[in-house]
Amino acid sequence: MKPIATTRSATGIPTGRLAVWWVLASEVVIFGGLLGSYVMHRLGHPEWGAAAAHTNTWIGAFNTFVLLTSSLTAVLAHQAAERGDGKKAAKLLMFTMLGALIFVSVKSFEWTMEIREGFTITANGFWSFYYTAAGLHAAHVIAGAVIMGFIAHDAWRGRELQRVELIGIYWHFVDVVWIFLFPLLYIAK
Amino acid sequence: MSQAVADVQHTQEHHGPQGILKYLWSTDHKVIAMQYMFTGMFMALIGGFMAYVFRMQLAFPGVSVPGFGVVSPGEYNSLITNHGSIMIFWVAMPVLIAAFGNFLIPLMIGADDMVFPRINRLSFQVFFLSVLVILTSLFVKGGGFGGAWTAYPPLSASGAYNLTKLGSSLWLIGVALEFVAFLLGGINFIVTLMNARAPGMRAYDIPILPWFIVLASMLFMLSVGPLIAGAVMLLFDQLLGTGFYDPARGGDPLLWQHLFWFFGHPEVYVVLLPAMGIVVEIITTFSRKKLFGYKIVLYTAVATAVLSFFVWAHHQFIAGIDPRMANIFTVTTLLISVPIAELCFVLIATLYGGSIRLTTPMLWALAFLAEFLIGGVTGIFLGASGADVFFHDTYFVLAHFHYTFFPIAIIGTFAAFTYWFPKMFGKMLNETLGKIHFWGTIIPFNFIFIPLFILGLHGQHRRIYDYNHFPELATPALQHLRIVATVALIVMLFFQLVFFFNVIRSWISGEKAPRNPWKANTLEWTTESPPPHGNWPADRMPVVYRGPYEYSVPGREDDYWPQNSPT
Amino acid sequence: MSQEQHHINYVKIWAILVVLLVVSVVGPFFGVKWITLITAFGVAVVKARLVVQNFMHLRIEKRIIKWALGTTLVLMLLFFAGTAPDVMEHHGVNWTNDAALAAVERGVEEGHGEVADDGHEAVGESDDGHEAAGRRAVEHEEAATAGQEFDAKAAFNTTCSVCHGTAGDGKGPGAVALDPKPANFTDSAFWETRTDEEIFKAIKEGGAAVGRSPLMVAWGATYSDDQIHALVAYLKTFRKK
Repeated sequence: MKPIATTRSATGIPTGRLAVWWVLASEVVIFGGLLGSYVMHRLGHPEWGAAAAHTNTWIGAFNTFVLLTSSLTAVLAHQAAERGDGKKAAKLLMFTMLGALIFVSVKSFEWTMEIREGFTITANGFWSFYYTAAGLHAAHVIAGAVIMGFIAHDAWRGRELQRVELIGIYWHFVDVVWIFLFPLLYIAK
Repeated sequence: MSQAVADVQHTQEHHGPQGILKYLWSTDHKVIAMQYMFTGMFMALIGGFMAYVFRMQLAFPGVSVPGFGVVSPGEYNSLITNHGSIMIFWVAMPVLIAAFGNFLIPLMIGADDMVFPRINRLSFQVFFLSVLVILTSLFVKGGGFGGAWTAYPPLSASGAYNLTKLGSSLWLIGVALEFVAFLLGGINFIVTLMNARAPGMRAYDIPILPWFIVLASMLFMLSVGPLIAGAVMLLFDQLLGTGFYDPARGGDPLLWQHLFWFFGHPEVYVVLLPAMGIVVEIITTFSRKKLFGYKIVLYTAVATAVLSFFVWAHHQFIAGIDPRMANIFTVTTLLISVPIAELCFVLIATLYGGSIRLTTPMLWALAFLAEFLIGGVTGIFLGASGADVFFHDTYFVLAHFHYTFFPIAIIGTFAAFTYWFPKMFGKMLNETLGKIHFWGTIIPFNFIFIPLFILGLHGQHRRIYDYNHFPELATPALQHLRIVATVALIVMLFFQLVFFFNVIRSWISGEKAPRNPWKANTLEWTTESPPPHGNWPADRMPVVYRGPYEYSVPGREDDYWPQNSPT
Repeated sequence: MSQEQHHINYVKIWAILVVLLVVSVVGPFFGVKWITLITAFGVAVVKARLVVQNFMHLRIEKRIIKWALGTTLVLMLLFFAGTAPDVMEHHGVNWTNDAALAAVERGVEEGHGEVADDGHEAVGESDDGHEAAGRRAVEHEEAATAGQEFDAKAAFNTTCSVCHGTAGDGKGPGAVALDPKPANFTDSAFWETRTDEEIFKAIKEGGAAVGRSPLMVAWGATYSDDQIHALVAYLKTFRKK
C-alpha cells in the first residue's frame, strides 16, 4: 500500500528515520526558544531564586532516573527489533511506556503538592516558566507514549519493526530535553 | 522492488473510496494540492473583501460601505489585522507552498506520491481546522482580533486593552494550528525531495522550484520554533493571567517582539522562494534557454536563507532595542539585498538572447521581476536604521511590503496557475482572456500602492482608521491619493472576474491539453494531463539522464530536451 | 548498522548516566556556585551527548543529520544573542527598563516573605485570570510602596491624561478618535450628575460597569482602592467653580 516514493532512498538514510530527525530539528528550536527565553529572564531576575528554591530536587532526580531508564529500555527494544524479535521489542517498549506513566504520575503528584502550597502558574515569573516548560515537555512525553503504544502493537505482530527505532529516537530526544530541564528548574536554580 | 511495484499496482486498482469521499479522504498528493489551492483561493476572496472594506473607509470615512455597513474603529482594527494574517498564513503559504508544492514536487522529481501520504492528508485536515478557527474568530462576541497581525503585547495579551478577548485567543489558536499543519507538510516535502527522486536524478538535476520549496520548508521549520513557544506564552497570558510579557510581573514585551520577528523575517523568504522558483521555471521555458547559473542560483538561495536569520530586528529599530543591535542589524539587512538582487539579475541574464514567447504565464513572470524589484529597492531605505526612524509605521513600509508580497502571493500564484493549469485540469486556458486579466491586475496594482508610497513620505502612519483626526494628513491632496488607491483596488478586484470566467469556461469546455503544451523539459510534462493516480504506470517510472534546463542545445533538432529522454 | 550496536553496551552507558545524575544532584551541596553550575550543566551536556551519540546512534549517522542538528543549535545561540541584550539586561548605554528594575527590587526586598504571602492568598482564590493575578501584583505593589506617598497627580498624568487631558478637560491626544468623548472634569455640570461612588467604580471597574463607554478601561488591577480614592480627590481639583 506504500507509494514507491516511500521506499526510495537517494540519501541512503531510510525515509522514516530522515523524517524523525527533521521533526527533532524543529522541536529543538521550539524548546530552544522557550528555554532560551527562560534563561534570559532568570538571569535578569535574580529574585526568582526565592521561588525556585521551592522545587523538589529529589522528585526531579527520581524523574530523571525514570526517564534515563526508559531510554535504556527503548534502545534495547530497537536492538531486539533489529534482530527481528518483534515480541521482545514490544515488551521493552511497554516498559518504556511504563516509565512514561511513572514520570507523568510523579509529576502530577509533584504539581498538586506545589499548587496546594500556592505556587500556581501565575504566582511568579519563575513558576510561569516552570509549568509551561515542564508542561510542554510532559505533553511530548504523553504524545510519544501514545504513539509508542501503536508501534508496540504492530511490533508484537511482527509488523513495521523499523518503526521501533524511530519512536526510540523521538523518545531519546524527550529524555535529552529533560536532561536540560532538570538542572534548569531543580538544581542550578 | 517488485513487491513495491505490485503494492502500488494493487493500490492503483483498488485505491480510493468513491464519490465525494474520494475528495475528502484521499491521500493522493494531487487531490490534497487541490484542497489547499481552493481553500487558499477562497481565503484570498475573504482577505480581498476585507481590503475593499477598509480601503473604502479610508477613502470615504464614516460612509457606509456597500456590502458591509459603517466601519467602526474596532472593526477597522479587526479588518486590517485579519487581512494581513489571512493573506500571509491562509493564502500565500497554502497556495504557493502547500498547493503547488504538493502537486508539483512528486511530479517534478519522478515519484508516484509524497513519501508520507497519510501525514499529508493529516496536514490538510489540521490546516482546514485552522481555517475554521480563524473564520469563527471573526464572528464571536467582540469580533475578530484587532491587535495587528504582529500581535504585540500588552495589547494582545489583555482583552481589556484590545477589546476582542475571545477573538484574540481564537486568532492565536488558528495561527498555531496553521503552524502545525505546515510543520507536518514540511516534513513531507523535505524527505520526499531528499529521498524519493527518480533514478539518475542527482541533486543538481532537480529543477529549481522543488529545491526552493524544500528550502522554504526547512527555513520555516527552523524559524517557527521560538514563535510557537512565544505563542504558548501569549496564550497563557491571555487565558491564565500569567505575566510572560508584563514587565511589572517579571516579563518583557520586547521578548514577544524578538520571538515573533525571529520567525517573521525568515517567513518572508519562506514565501518568496517558492514564488521565485515558479518564475525560474516559467522564464526558462519561455525563453527556450538554459538557466544562467543553476548552481549560483541554488547557493544564492541557501545564502539568502541563512542570512535571513540575521536580520530580524530591523522590524524593531524604534521599539527600544539596544542601539548596538540596531547597528548590527542595519548592516546585515543591507547585505541581504545582495543575493536577492543577484537572483533577479540571473533571471534577466537568462532572458537575454533567449527566444522569448510572451504567453500569459511569461507575462506574469516578467511582471514579478519588475514589481518585486521596486519592492526590494524600497526595502533598502527601511533597512537603514537612520531612515527607518522616519519611515517606521508609515505607509511607506506598507507600500514596500505590498510591492514584495503582492508579486509573491498574487503574481506568483497567477503565473503558476496559468502555467500548470493544462497539467492540473487537462484543458488549455484562453490566452486573450488571460492577457486581459493580466493587464487588468497589474496596472491597477501600481495605482493602489504608488499613492501609498507618497502618503508614507508625507508621514501618514499606519493602522489609523480615519485621517480626519490628523489635520496635517487630512488635506484634500492626500485624501485624493487615498481615493485613487481605493478606486484602483476596486478596478483590480473587478478584473478578477475575468480570471474566474476564464477558468470555469476552460475547465468545462476548453481545448483539451496535450501532455506538454509548452514543450518544457521537466518531468511533470511527460505524463498525461491531468496525471493519473500514481502519476506514471508503476513499471514505467521515469529515469533521468540530464538537468532540467537543457533548452536550445546546439546540434539538436528540438529546442528542448526532456530530462527523461534517453537520447 | 547492527554490527556497531554490538560494540555499544547500552547498559554500561545507562550506568554512567545514572552516576552522572548522582553527581549533578550532589553538586549543590558543596555550596560553591561554580561547582554547582559545572555539575549541573556540564553534566547535562555530557549526558545529552552520551544519549545522542549512543542511544540515538548519531555517532554512525550520516553527516547531513549532524549538520542539520548543529544548525539548530547555532540558531538557538543566535536567537539568544540577539534577544538577551534587550530582555536579560535592564539597562544599557542610553536606556533603562524601569518596570523590570522595580520588579527586581520588589522581589529582592520581599525575599522569602513573597512566596509565603502568595501561598496563603492563592489558596482561597480561583485563578480567574488577569484581574486576579493583577490584584496579587497590586498587593505586592502596596507592600513595597507602603510608606511611600501615592502621587495622584503623577498617576493621573501618566495614565489618564492621554484621553482626559492634563487639564482634565477631556481633550487629551487620545480623545481625538473617541466617541463619546472622555469625561470633562472641569465642567461642573459633570460633577452635578455623578456621585463619588460612581466615579470610583468607573475607575476601578471600567466605564461599562457604570453604564457608560467601554472604552474607559478598568484600572482596578493597577491601582488599589486607596489610590483610586486619591485619584477621585485629585479629579475634583479640576472642577471649575
